[in-house]
Order: sequence, then C-alpha cells, then structure tokens
Amino acid sequence: MDLIPVTVLTGCLGASKTTLLNRILTEERDRKYDVVVNEFGEIGIDNDFVVNADEEEFEMNNDCICCTVRGDLIRFLGSLMKRQGGFDGIPIETTGLADPAPVARNFLVDEDVRGRTRLGSIMTVVDACHVIQRLEDSHETLEEVAFVDIIRLDKTDLVSADELARKKSCIRSINATAVIRRTHRCEVGLDTVLERRAFDLDRIPAIEPDFGAEDDHEHDDAVKSVFLRADRPLDGNRPTKRLQRLFVERGQDLLRTTGVLSFPGHEKQYVVQAVHMLLAGNFTKSGSPDENRERRLSFIGRNIDELDLRQQYKACVA
Amino acid sequence: MSLFAEKGKKSLLDLIGSGRNLDAYVVGVVFLEEGLLAAALVDGRVAFINSESTSPASFVSAHDGTCLSLAGDPGGQRVLTGGDDGRLVSTDTDGETTEIAAISGRWVEPIAVSRASGLCAAAFGKTVSLFARDGSAVGRFEHANTVSGLAFDPKGRRIAAAHYGGASLWWAKLGTQEPKRLTWAGSHLDLTWSPDGKYIVTAMQENELHGWRVADSVDMRMAGYPKKVKSMSWLPKGRYLATGGADSVICWPFHGKSGPMGKAPLDLGWGFEGVVTAVAAHPRHDVIAAGYKDGTTILVQIEREDPLLVKRPGEGAVTALGWSADGQHLALGTESGLVGRLKLSDWRTSSGA
Repeated sequence: MDLIPVTVLTGCLGASKTTLLNRILTEERDRKYDVVVNEFGEIGIDNDFVVNADEEEFEMNNDCICCTVRGDLIRFLGSLMKRQGGFDGIPIETTGLADPAPVARNFLVDEDVRGRTRLGSIMTVVDACHVIQRLEDSHETLEEVAFVDIIRLDKTDLVSADELARKKSCIRSINATAVIRRTHRCEVGLDTVLERRAFDLDRIPAIEPDFGAEDDHEHDDAVKSVFLRADRPLDGNRPTKRLQRLFVERGQDLLRTTGVLSFPGHEKQYVVQAVHMLLAGNFTKSGSPDENRERRLSFIGRNIDELDLRQQYKACVA
Repeated sequence: MSLFAEKGKKSLLDLIGSGRNLDAYVVGVVFLEEGLLAAALVDGRVAFINSESTSPASFVSAHDGTCLSLAGDPGGQRVLTGGDDGRLVSTDTDGETTEIAAISGRWVEPIAVSRASGLCAAAFGKTVSLFARDGSAVGRFEHANTVSGLAFDPKGRRIAAAHYGGASLWWAKLGTQEPKRLTWAGSHLDLTWSPDGKYIVTAMQENELHGWRVADSVDMRMAGYPKKVKSMSWLPKGRYLATGGADSVICWPFHGKSGPMGKAPLDLGWGFEGVVTAVAAHPRHDVIAAGYKDGTTILVQIEREDPLLVKRPGEGAVTALGWSADGQHLALGTESGLVGRLKLSDWRTSSGA
C-alpha cells in the first residue's frame, strides 16, 4: 500500500505559510489534498478539504516525560485513512507556537498513522528580512529552524545578496542538513514541497552539510548540528548500546537525529530516526556495494558535545 | 490448528449467509426490529439490508462528509450516526433522516444508547450531550479534552466518558454536578461499562486496557497487547470481556470478586493470520464472533478448541460485527465495504458445531 505523504508546515505567524497553503489548494485542483489547519479563519479559501485541528498534545504513558504526541492528528489521520480513493497528500499547518516535535512523533509512535501515512517533510517558512532577529528573540523560531528538513526563506527580494548569504550561514550554523530554498511569495514547485521524502525511513537525504560556512553567530540556546561519518562498518553491538544510552541521557537536548548505519553481515542498511529520546530504527535501506555504503549520523540539538559524539562514534567502528 | 482454517473450506457466510459490497469502509452494523440490518458507511451513507439475500440494499445519505459512528436507537426502529460534519443524525427504517443536534466544526464520534432509560449520548468534541428518545436535549457535560469513548451504566442513569487522563462519570438527570473522576495517565480511546455495572474499562493509546472498579475506583491494568485494542465486548452477565488487539481473542475474566486481577486471560481463536480487529459477544451464550485484519471471521466458544469459520479471508480487515438482540442473526462489515449477514437460528452452543 502506498503511504500518503504528510507535509508539516510550521512557522511563525505572519510568515508566508498561509500563502503557500493557498497555493497548494488553488493551483493543484487536479490532485486531492486534505488539509489540516489550526483555525478556519486563517485561510481564506473554500474549506471543503480543510479540517480544523485542536492541537491536543498528549503525553504517552510510557515513563518518557518528553514524549508527547498530537492526539487530534492521530484521530484525524485515522479517520481520513478509512476513506477510499486515497489522497495525494496531507499538508498539516501548525501555528507558529506549536512544537513540531509532537507532530513528528505521531509518525513514529502510532501504528495506524505509521501504517498508512509517511512524514514527507517538515518545512518552515521564514521571513528573510527578520530571520536573524527572530532567531535571537524567539525560542520557537530557533527550535523550528533546528527541527525542520526544509527551510523556505521568503521575501528574499527584499534583502541584498550579501545579507542573504549571511543569513543562510546563520541558519546553517543551527541546522547543517536542512535544505534552504529562497522563494518569493512562496513560488516554488509544489511537487517538490509535497513529495519530498525528507523524513522517510527509507531515504534519508544524502545532504552534504555546508561546514564551510562561517559561523559568526552564537545563540543563547546553542542549538547546532553535528554530522558524523565512518568509512568502515560499525560493530554490531556497540552502536545500539551507545545510542540507547545517549538518548536516555541526552534525549531532552537532542531535537532531531537521523542516520544511515551499516553492520558487518547485514545486506541492508540500518536507518535511524529520532525525535528527542524517541528512537525508531529499521533495516530498510537496500544495500549498495560495501565500499560505497553511506554511514552517517546527524544530530541537531542543544548543548551538544561534538568531541564526545565523535569519539563515541569512532569507538563503534568495527 | 482449526479444522476450518484450511484453504478452500466453505464458510458459514458461503453456506447459509449473504454478502454484498457497498463500496465504502463499514463503520458499524446494527440489527433493528424484524431482522432488518443497518450499516453505516464512511462516505456518509446508511444502508438497510433485509434478510432476503436477493433483495437489494437501500441507501440513505445521512452525512455530508465522513460518518464516524453508528448506534441502534433503543426502540429498534431507527439508527443514530455521528459525522465529521458535526451532526448527530437519526435515520428511520423508511429512510427519513432527522438532525438531532449539530455543532459546526466539531466531530461527532462516540455515541452510546441505553435500552433501559431510552437515553442517547453523543460526544461533540469535548462536549457530551444527552438526548431523550424524542430527540430533546436533556443534559450537557463539558470536558477538558476530546471525548473518544462513551457508555451508559446498565440502568442508563449514568454516563461515562473516556478522554485524555482517564474517564468522567456523570448522572444523566442531575443538573449542575461535579463528575466522578477516574484517573490514569495517558490517552483513553474507548470505554465500556460492564453489564453488572461494577467495572469500567478503557482501551488506551498504549496498547493496553485500563479498568476501574466503580465502587472504590481501584485501578486494574490489562497490558501485553501487541496492537491497539479497537474492539471490546462483554459476554453474557459480564463474566468475560472479549477484546481484539492481539492475534487471538483475549478474554479477561470478570466473574471473581477482584475482576481480572491476578488472573490470566483466556486466549481463543488461535491459528489465524494477523490481529483481531473486531469482536462481538453473543447476547445469550458464551460465544464470540471475532474478525481479523485479513478479513477472516470466526465464532469461538469459551473453553473450547475449534472455532467455526464464518468468513474466509479477503475484502480487508473486519471493522464491524453485530448480533441481533435475540442472537439469531450475525452481521459483519469490512474495510473494503463488504457487509455480510447470516441467520443462526438452528445453531446451538450445545450442538458441538
């Protein structure tokens, strides 16, 4: 069964998120989308396919205090999946203040959601004019930029090329693996928005982080990315134990973790995804010849001890 | 394991029943008077199917949108449905629909009815509304979270609502009141009240059940399910609670003083593929109809080995099962829209079938 891609649109109020949603619904009439928004009033279009979400955040009763999910979305996606004919995609808009982590966690935790949909990507739209200011004064914006797969810088026509480069490098220092795209009034290929399998367990994007970028912005929360690579396969037992310990001890600080690992004797590669301390992993990615295998882990989080992570990773190599 | 699990073996539905595909996920099935079967379909239609296998189903459009739930009216002459159009609708056997209540923008999901008091309860998001048989509103109870399960006590005097953090118990005919709160961390998705009134059991997001003894709120945790429990049904007199959520029918014993605590559940209907998605206990005998994710449907008896095959695999997961009040008719519905019905009048639990 084809899993229906879900795109999560997050971003501060006042950014161009609504413009993007409007474009999805008005320009792609031949495709079927069901849209989840937070308030009906926010988008001024006919709302046949628009569902109002209630932002009910639930703690899972599994001794993990940071493990919240969005009960309203589990309910909504569950009901949507009963309808036949299927959907081409489900964009979910969250308010600027909503934490994207519980939304993403639905796709790791709930078997019904996991069985029928896949998290295509988490995307934020940020205003190029004000992004630096927002990153400095808003904890939510900082978390969002750290958390997402795609960052759309809108209103780039209002800033100079130099300024834009500086802003991009500032974003890079927080999230080294996200795709940054510049847009004007959110004019982007909608296919690339809705079909991107950025969060798919089968296809972790092979993005080379832009380490060359200068890092002249230190933020209070010190959210940053660490990107690790190995040339050789990992020892079968060591990474699991180390990862588990890492997520138990540091889960609160780790916003997003993605990785592709390989182990001796396993044809398939091991793909891991984590949102805070909730970790899901599978031998899913088809193996390529051993010498070309990708082995990498990326961490985005707060107070990350890069040296420690590198040493731990090195210790896992067989 | 079972004699009937073999490929090519004819099922009861093949032999003495009839089935038809109605082209939409079956939300629920319920028998009305004179063996008339009503099925609610996810596309907003209600279908009526009589016991003649050749006569076509008749359809009524009850909701503009998705139909989320179905319940038979206590009087047996109409059905109640809830939808994502925010409406609670009554459809009678002549095909006449009446909107009982509507709250725009809300979903109407759980509905509960009481034969004893004639009351009906429906949740409009966080609000539970009570209605008398004539459709007049007789009560309204607010909750902090969305209510996803509802059940009356056996006398129909109290209504219990499941929500995030536990359940709330309200007196149906009392005005201003504080509900009795049964608390347990986590999200409670469905709720059932035992026929003897002593226990309330909820199905949780965390693949487990939680129970309370109503008298003293003592907690009972029933865990170990590989999947979410989406169906629960009490056997006659509440001796056992049959549940889905595992690859066999799990039946918790409730006939002792302390309910299922410290006891192992019975484990019936082994040897079929996949998880049990729907269960319905016979109204008079210790017999359970159980449907699986692959569409297989069986009848099992408490403490007996061999199940009877009601329906072979196919047509998607079983989503709905229901008995007529006299236990002579059984109906089932599936994900891909099959509605099947059969008459078991000659069948006896003692016949060794």
